[in-house]
Amino acid sequence: MSSATPKRGALVTLLPYMKAHQAKLWLVFFLVVAVVVIELIQPWLVKEVIDRYVTVAKPDFNSILVMSSAYLGLVLVAFGLTYYQEVLLQRIGVSIVRSLRLDLFRHIQRLALRYFDQTSAGRIITNVVSDTEALNNFFTQFLSNTLRGIFSLLLIMFFMLRLDTVIALYCFLLLPPVVLLAIYFQKKIRTVNAEVRHRLGVVIGFLAENLSGMSIVQIFNQELKQQKALNERNRALLESTILENRWFLCFFNITELLGDLAIAALLWFGGKEVIGGTISFGILYAFIGYIRRFFQPINTISQQMNILQSSIVASDRISRTLQEVPDIQELMGATAPEVTGKIQLDGVSLAYRAGYPILHNINLLIRPGERVGFVGATGAGKSSIMNLVTRFYDVTAGAVIIDGKDIREWPLEALRRSVGIVQQDVMLFSGSIIDNIRFFQADISEERVREACRLVGAEPFILRQPRGYETMLSERASTLSAGERQLLSFARVLIFDPRILILDEATASLDSRTEEVLQEAIHRVSAGRTLLVIAHRLSTVQQMDTICVLEQGRIVESGTHGELLRQRGYYWRLHQSGMLLEEAA
Amino acid sequence: MSGLRIVGSYFRQHWALYTVGISMVGGGSLLAAQIPGLLGRVTDSLRDGRLGRAEMAGYVGLIVLIAVVRVATGWGGRVLVHHKGRELTYQLRKELFEKWSTLTPSYYHSHSIGDMISHALSDVEVIRELVSQGLNQGVSGSAMFLGATYLMVVHVDWRLTLAGLGPLLFIPLLVKLLGPQIRLQSQRSQEALGAMAQITEEVIGGIRTVKAFGTEDVVIGRFEGRVDAIVAEKMRFVHLSALFGALVPLMVNLGFIFVLGYGGFLMTEKAISLGDFVAFTLFVAMLRMPLEQLGNVINIVQRSVASLQRIDELLQVVPEVVDRKEALQDLPLQGSIQVRGLSFRYPSSEREVLQDISFTVHPAQTLGIIGAMGSGKSTLANLLLRMSDPPEGTVLVGGRDILHYPLARLRDAIAYVPQDGFLFSSMVLENIGFSDEYPDRERVECCAKITAIHENILGFPEQYDTEIGDRGVRLSGGQKQRMAIARMIYKDAPFQIMDDSLSAVDTSTERRILENLRELSNSSSADEGKGKATIIISNRLSAVQHADEIVVLEEGRIVERGNHSRLIALNGIYASQWFMQAGQFEESELDGVDAEGGRDHTTPDLDAEMEALEAGRLEEAL
Repeated sequence: MSSATPKRGALVTLLPYMKAHQAKLWLVFFLVVAVVVIELIQPWLVKEVIDRYVTVAKPDFNSILVMSSAYLGLVLVAFGLTYYQEVLLQRIGVSIVRSLRLDLFRHIQRLALRYFDQTSAGRIITNVVSDTEALNNFFTQFLSNTLRGIFSLLLIMFFMLRLDTVIALYCFLLLPPVVLLAIYFQKKIRTVNAEVRHRLGVVIGFLAENLSGMSIVQIFNQELKQQKALNERNRALLESTILENRWFLCFFNITELLGDLAIAALLWFGGKEVIGGTISFGILYAFIGYIRRFFQPINTISQQMNILQSSIVASDRISRTLQEVPDIQELMGATAPEVTGKIQLDGVSLAYRAGYPILHNINLLIRPGERVGFVGATGAGKSSIMNLVTRFYDVTAGAVIIDGKDIREWPLEALRRSVGIVQQDVMLFSGSIIDNIRFFQADISEERVREACRLVGAEPFILRQPRGYETMLSERASTLSAGERQLLSFARVLIFDPRILILDEATASLDSRTEEVLQEAIHRVSAGRTLLVIAHRLSTVQQMDTICVLEQGRIVESGTHGELLRQRGYYWRLHQSGMLLEEAA
Repeated sequence: MSGLRIVGSYFRQHWALYTVGISMVGGGSLLAAQIPGLLGRVTDSLRDGRLGRAEMAGYVGLIVLIAVVRVATGWGGRVLVHHKGRELTYQLRKELFEKWSTLTPSYYHSHSIGDMISHALSDVEVIRELVSQGLNQGVSGSAMFLGATYLMVVHVDWRLTLAGLGPLLFIPLLVKLLGPQIRLQSQRSQEALGAMAQITEEVIGGIRTVKAFGTEDVVIGRFEGRVDAIVAEKMRFVHLSALFGALVPLMVNLGFIFVLGYGGFLMTEKAISLGDFVAFTLFVAMLRMPLEQLGNVINIVQRSVASLQRIDELLQVVPEVVDRKEALQDLPLQGSIQVRGLSFRYPSSEREVLQDISFTVHPAQTLGIIGAMGSGKSTLANLLLRMSDPPEGTVLVGGRDILHYPLARLRDAIAYVPQDGFLFSSMVLENIGFSDEYPDRERVECCAKITAIHENILGFPEQYDTEIGDRGVRLSGGQKQRMAIARMIYKDAPFQIMDDSLSAVDTSTERRILENLRELSNSSSADEGKGKATIIISNRLSAVQHADEIVVLEEGRIVERGNHSRLIALNGIYASQWFMQAGQFEESELDGVDAEGGRDHTTPDLDAEMEALEAGRLEEAL
């Protein structure tokens, strides 16, 4: 989070999008003016009726009838225009936000993993969901209400001036206090409301936590203590909502009172003029009608300031994201070589932050079809090597060469499709089982998916699901066990058929019985591929052609299981500690 | 309609206040309805030319008076009614939480916490709307409408009243018809937004998978689908709300036109005065808001019926486990735990989770329970704690059925560590000393030392005052568990149950903690002449290895029992698992390095890096 305050100019992000709808926006603009004029002409009309047709020697009903019918026509037109204008403006807003969302999401997808590792997921999601929604409000609420409010205000002032300049100017004296009042109250209500939301959040958080930990509360016999704690928060919330309501009522009632007092004042000063014959009664009436309408636009506009502020903040955040430059760039015109699965790490170093290298000068050659295991403590650099082979990160020094070509010269998609990865946490998406396996690519046939599932042994449990392959996986696929999820991810790998396969702690979260079942699947999936396995359990890597032991970013030992035991080094010690425990039995 | 009881009894309880509040709100609105009539009279006097300065001053003074009085009473009445309404939300939330505090896991299993919270928030808010806003608007709207209509009909002309108000009467109808549809459609677009949020969350959470498969375009396509769904729902909403937004002013304008035309006609015919006409146009303008509000009140009432019903049902839930009024023995629990021929099945299922379980744990003794997932271990713990009631006469403490103790006594006597090491987002101090309202700092530290978490805590930014959770430190699984064990030790209860509570702790730390615990138990037995009876439930045999007795559960039955050496000698399930797990200790040992030793590395690794970033972000947030 940067401390820099959002600039007013932050809304410029929106300009290019608005330009695309320029013509329509102008149309909306004119429609708003038309609708407001039709609405505000009412007091004027009454004035005309009174002064011209009623308070004259010979009242003229026919003219009144003509005028009413004409106005009826206008009102019906205004009805249509109001509807059309609103729909038009909203459509513009909705489609701008749509384009913005897509551009933002596309851009984020292009960013490299460093961005996702350094930015919390919550913030990215807020950016895509809430910030864009705030801009939606900018169009649907701010723009529409402000436009209408400003024109109403201007037109009222215009009509007043036309009626009588002096009285109009007196009426305008009301403007500064009303505006100040509105600004003051809006500000006050905003802060009080922020407090309400904060306290509400506290109550929600407390409830959520205590409901999920209710059994702990009960077992520790602390129900009363927790109820008391809730009541404190609940009371705080109550107080702030009452305060908010008080401010709100205060604002509302003061505005009402001001409106009535303004009428009284008009009557007093205007009445004298009418008696004195300087103005007609109709004019006084029209003024009373207009002064009543003075307040609403001001309140509406001042309410919109919240929305304006949050849209500025939102658009600032969005433009920052859009300005992020992807770390990993594809070389122009890159082509992929013939893939056999040969990997060469050539003096590779990696530092996630300058000056703090994680990997130091790693040299390693992996032949096509070779199976290599990596062991070592967390932070030893196992996963970092995988981050390089998949080009999630670029090397700081040296080069990763796959099939004779530096991977920085590969097209990214070709590289990623040649290197498959199975992780400890299998990521499943909301959708059917079959779509999860083929990653929502409908052009991959169902038969191919079934075949893959049969091969890894996933079909029996899939068919046991209520709708087989079409079963929808719920949120985070909690209905499937860890082992079942892992089987699905193996099937996914088979579908994508990469030459190089990385198993990143793929069986770490499984109990030993499930792991046994999975070993068979691993065996089938890895056949004919270059296999890189990261593991905690030594048993998982014992069978590998080569085992690399990593310590603090260096390969300290490598060789087969037997060789490493004979070396009596780190690997041997790890293995030995288990032996000792067995002897204790 | 039983839900109405909640509101009804609340009104009865505060009837005096509500009477005053409602009369003030209604009175204020009735007064407000006088102003157009008054202006009409001024008009007539002006027109007749018989209005002198004094009369004018009188009228103006009257208007000012009415304005001040009507605003003051309306204001005061609304403050009262709103205040009471908000107090009702406080009270309902309090009652709900008190009710929820008495419900057992079986209830929490079948009800989502998200739903429960939404009841405590939205349903309660809807009820608040009914008793504050709904009441205010209903009273003030009808007072103003009736007052104005009365004045118009009696003092002017009923036909003109009908012409002017006729179109306006459609407004509440429009609100009633379109309001719920607009609300529904707005919910739908919110849901569509939620669907997009969900997919974003999935994709960002699974970004490694997405990138690893090179399937960015696929997820962009899915995202686009959701965005388009939002557009469709939003536009449907826009059409409805724009229609509503155009129809309401249309009705007002039609009323105005009828008054203008027909009123003009009556004026030229001298059937009504200019003052009447003026008053009429003002009435029509004035009644727009109250009529919209009356429509809104109808919607509020409709919505609140469902909410009242739900809240009422929630408050009526009967807790499954309660103090048995008959044969209650209000004594502290002591002695040994005895389980006799316990069989149990959950009411919702046919399967017996536990079958014929018997064992005894004496003070200062430890029982180990071993079994795979689904073997019934945790159910057993739940029954001992009376999270569900065991069958009569199957679980005894000190020779008495635990069903006959008050719940508070029972739970005071048992300390427990849950599987997940559940902690609250409060200070470390408050978490470990959870069983006390004002935890004793020294004792908390002592407990933390026993579970080898003290050093970790000293490393936190504010040590024992550090908040746990999102706003403070995030703990690893092992740290959580050790914290939860410290909490159990702090409680210092005669009975202890540890439910698989060392699973995320590496074996050497586990060994240390268990040794400390045994020491503690022995020393306390030296002090008081009797120690704690401990039950350790575990997946990992090393945790129960030193127990006085170990029972092996399989599908709800005890299949083997004895101490460690006997069970090894038996060469059955326990022994075979022992040899298998012994083979795994090498890896567990390595796990330990990962879980605990990560931060000791001198070279910063990725995790440390990320942690630093997190911490930096945290500092900024603070």
